[in-house]
Amino acid sequence: MKYELVAGFETHVELATNTKIFCSCTTQFGGEPNTHCCPICIGLPGTLPKLNKRVVEYAIRAGLATNCHIAEISKMDRKNYCYPDLPKAYQISQYDKPLCEHGYIQLSNGRKIRILRIHIEEDAGKLVHRRGDTLVDYNRGGVPLIEIVTEPDFRSVDEAKEYVEKLQLIMRYIGVSDCKMQEGSMRCDVNISVRPEGSEKLGTRTEIKNMNSISFIAKAMEYEYNRQVDLIESGEKVIQETLRYDDVSNTTSSMRGKEDANDYRYFRDPDLVTINVPRERVEEIRAQLPELPEAKKNRYVEELGIPEKDAALLTKYIRIAGFFEETIKGTKNPKTAANFIIGQIFRSVETEAEKEAFDIKVSAEALNELIRLIDEGKIRMNLAKSTLDKMLETGKRASELIDEKDMGGLDESVLDDLCRQAVEGNPKAVADYLAGKEKAVKAMVGFVMKNSRGKADAALAEQKIIGIIKGQ
Amino acid sequence: MSQSNITKLHEGLVNKDFSCRELTEKYLKAIEKDNGELNAYVTVTPETAMETAEKVDEKISKGEDIALLEGIPMTLKDNISTDGIRTTCCSKILEDYTPIYDATVWKILKARNSVLLGKTNMDEFAMGSSCETSYFGGAKNPHNTGHVAGGSSGGVASAVGGNLAVFGLGSDTGGSIRQPASFCGIVGLKPTYGAVSRFGLIAYASSLDQIGPITTNVEDTAIVFDAISEYDKMDSTSKGSSVPVCGSLKNDIKGMKIGIAKEYLEGIREDVRKCIDEAISVYQSLGAEIVYFDIPSIKYALPVYYIIACAEASSNLGRYDGIRYGYKAENYRDVNDMIKKTRSTGFGDEVKRRILLGTYVLSSGYYDAYYKKAQSLRGTIVKAFREAFTKCDVMLAPTVPMTAFENGHAVSDPVETYQTDICTVPVNICGLPAVSVPCGFDEKGLPVGMQLIGNSFDEAKILNAAWQYEKTAGKFRAAGFGVSL
Amino acid sequence: MVTKEEIMKIAILSKLFVGEDEIDKLTEDMSGIISFADTINNAADAESDFDNINELSNVLREDEVVPSLDRDKILENAKDSDEGCFLVKNIMK
Repeated sequence: MKYELVAGFETHVELATNTKIFCSCTTQFGGEPNTHCCPICIGLPGTLPKLNKRVVEYAIRAGLATNCHIAEISKMDRKNYCYPDLPKAYQISQYDKPLCEHGYIQLSNGRKIRILRIHIEEDAGKLVHRRGDTLVDYNRGGVPLIEIVTEPDFRSVDEAKEYVEKLQLIMRYIGVSDCKMQEGSMRCDVNISVRPEGSEKLGTRTEIKNMNSISFIAKAMEYEYNRQVDLIESGEKVIQETLRYDDVSNTTSSMRGKEDANDYRYFRDPDLVTINVPRERVEEIRAQLPELPEAKKNRYVEELGIPEKDAALLTKYIRIAGFFEETIKGTKNPKTAANFIIGQIFRSVETEAEKEAFDIKVSAEALNELIRLIDEGKIRMNLAKSTLDKMLETGKRASELIDEKDMGGLDESVLDDLCRQAVEGNPKAVADYLAGKEKAVKAMVGFVMKNSRGKADAALAEQKIIGIIKGQ
Repeated sequence: MSQSNITKLHEGLVNKDFSCRELTEKYLKAIEKDNGELNAYVTVTPETAMETAEKVDEKISKGEDIALLEGIPMTLKDNISTDGIRTTCCSKILEDYTPIYDATVWKILKARNSVLLGKTNMDEFAMGSSCETSYFGGAKNPHNTGHVAGGSSGGVASAVGGNLAVFGLGSDTGGSIRQPASFCGIVGLKPTYGAVSRFGLIAYASSLDQIGPITTNVEDTAIVFDAISEYDKMDSTSKGSSVPVCGSLKNDIKGMKIGIAKEYLEGIREDVRKCIDEAISVYQSLGAEIVYFDIPSIKYALPVYYIIACAEASSNLGRYDGIRYGYKAENYRDVNDMIKKTRSTGFGDEVKRRILLGTYVLSSGYYDAYYKKAQSLRGTIVKAFREAFTKCDVMLAPTVPMTAFENGHAVSDPVETYQTDICTVPVNICGLPAVSVPCGFDEKGLPVGMQLIGNSFDEAKILNAAWQYEKTAGKFRAAGFGVSL
Repeated sequence: MVTKEEIMKIAILSKLFVGEDEIDKLTEDMSGIISFADTINNAADAESDFDNINELSNVLREDEVVPSLDRDKILENAKDSDEGCFLVKNIMK
């Protein structure tokens, strides 16, 4: 029998605010333990939370970017559970009135992954275990999070991977999070069950907690899918439980059942007041949203004539898309810029992180200048290419690297002269060409290019050379 | 004169009849002498007090103006955070906890050079009606030390009633300012929810807690209230009070409508009832109009109060785990075991009972029948009081259906003890202001109190009515303790 | 009526130990308190939904950093700390 995978995601995204959600301590990553703390975020008796305005705004942005409905009235609730990383023994979160609900993200296969809700909450601190001792650092405690919960709409690992990538990209585009999975600013929990293909009934699900890399998510899901199928086929039952994925052994294992059954005893936090989101405010935030990756890509294809594959590469990183758009301003052919970026420039930013940072020596404005020289017919493509390499290497501008006398087209008579010299000076190549070796003409074109310092139009030179040979 | 009075003390300081140092020393000596018997203070802070006193004396000697509360010896209930001064909530779990920040109310008074004599006794985490759940033993009633000072702010009431402080700040969640003020024959104001910042007040029940003054007379209460009722950006539920109440204290109350909800008079002791009736006559003689009505939903106020208060408390008190502050168990197997041992030995019985009740009413399967239902009834009661204030300006009610219990009486039956809060809790449920003023004595000479209840932010009205009563028929009687001025 | 089992369950959630010697008395006390709390269920269902008591909304803070507290202060009240962290020692080793 064939089994279908059914999965849903709960993704925690740390918001890129300056301060924590309920106090004015910095949210900066790292820092010596307990140096980003105050009486409020270590839960000293008598302290009270005060909600950060930007957290609400960012969550609304995230909701709008994922097609959610934004609640008119929302509130904060307490989720009660006692654990040393949670200084108040409750997490301030949202229970029955989340800020955003009922959105979706569309995948490339056309399927929509429904988003059930997005709510705001505070992060917990960090526990470090050292030879049985427990050390607690509350620097991360109180950092604002949004939790994005999907319906169980995933049917394959590839869909899951695409969703996580898309979500990451959207959050970065709208500037609410850097979504650095390795630093924990984006973490995924995945619910997984399997069912016989064609069946409507959901199987028993397990939950894999806290995964912080896309490849781990994929591996963990594959492992868990196979494990569940094996269990069912051998007549055993899947137990509903919470699992941890171990990336070294590539297996999932049960997180030791905490002694206490979970009963979070949610209730409204009496220390915080109602959140009201006027419709005008929602529209303001909507109007300020940047163009989202999907829309941008489509525009590149439809309006700029960029091939789909290239458009996808350009829009995958918000800095690169921005660089591209700066570069093509006032130029005639956006494809030239796209080719420069994807071809030559990408060679110097190979890794994901480098592409993300996109820290290169050439400014968009400098590349724009180079492309204008091509547009104006002042330099040929091959000179432009070699110039760009030098620009990437030295950080100098095209105008500093190309002589004035190299600019401008080559006079027709000079070109004719050079072509004639090429034919006369290369009898062997001429003979080869006449013998059917068409490639032999390239050597003569090379001669023209070299002696024109790259200014000659190679195609035109080739035409002329062939003309001369044939006319002889 | 044996009744302390902020205005007179202020004049005395300004006129150099006595120095702030002398005044402060007098109180510190009285505490040394009488606190053994009253057990009002759990921490005395002579250094802080003398330091402030010297500062004030220096200002006076330089001819600088001083504010009304400058140099006035006072106390804070031990659940109000004081930077560098231990704040215990009278619990073993916080026995050696020293806050690293100031509660907003203390920040305000500190900036005005009020002289902090020390921190006063209370029921553990403000949970109790007799002060006897205190880890340090209960505070005694200055009118008869065989009786309790009341709770939970028993220490403040005992100190102010026993002349060991000119004024004090307590907190009132279900009557914790008004009940001990009533038991000790003094004045206590529970302000409108949001009038005074809760930042730094160690929470019992966040939607009910409110800090307020306890003083010997209405004018002092008005002065202190005006000082502390500031908007505070640190407290999201803070509103502050816009109009000072001192200005309208002495207004004529002719034509003022005083409402009596019959439910408040049911089941109260006969002698208490008699005092209330006399007070009604006093108001009639002052030209006030008495209107009677029913607020039937008051009968649900007590269980609603206990459900909501305990639910919030169970969550508020989850943080005492021994890791960041306070008591920590010494022998344990692992982190979880340490936390459980810390809490089991650190909290007293009443606190544990309320945590358990709060956990119960919030737990799955019971939430709807208890917490949710209580919240919806809270809405009903709020509406009923709003409606009542369309018929009257202020309401009059007994503060407590009886006078101060004998020592040890309150701890035997929890539910029976809860019943004594019947007259005080509705105000907390509705977030309304109420002031308790002395209105008589029982046959043993124990004080009886009445409360004047106002609509939201109507502190000016209730204090006006209270001041007029006090001026006409005031029932303050000095107890035989402390400073005699 | 509350059962011993229910008391044990809520004790675990509350992170409290209830000793064998305490459970009977505690169950009795809690039964009394809960039947007292139960009296609210005699009231008709109220139509009013209770919001926050002082009817405030959107009390928000600007996203501006204030320097954090000195770490020594943060750790001052902890019984045990090490390496700048709050510490729960493993005393079984």
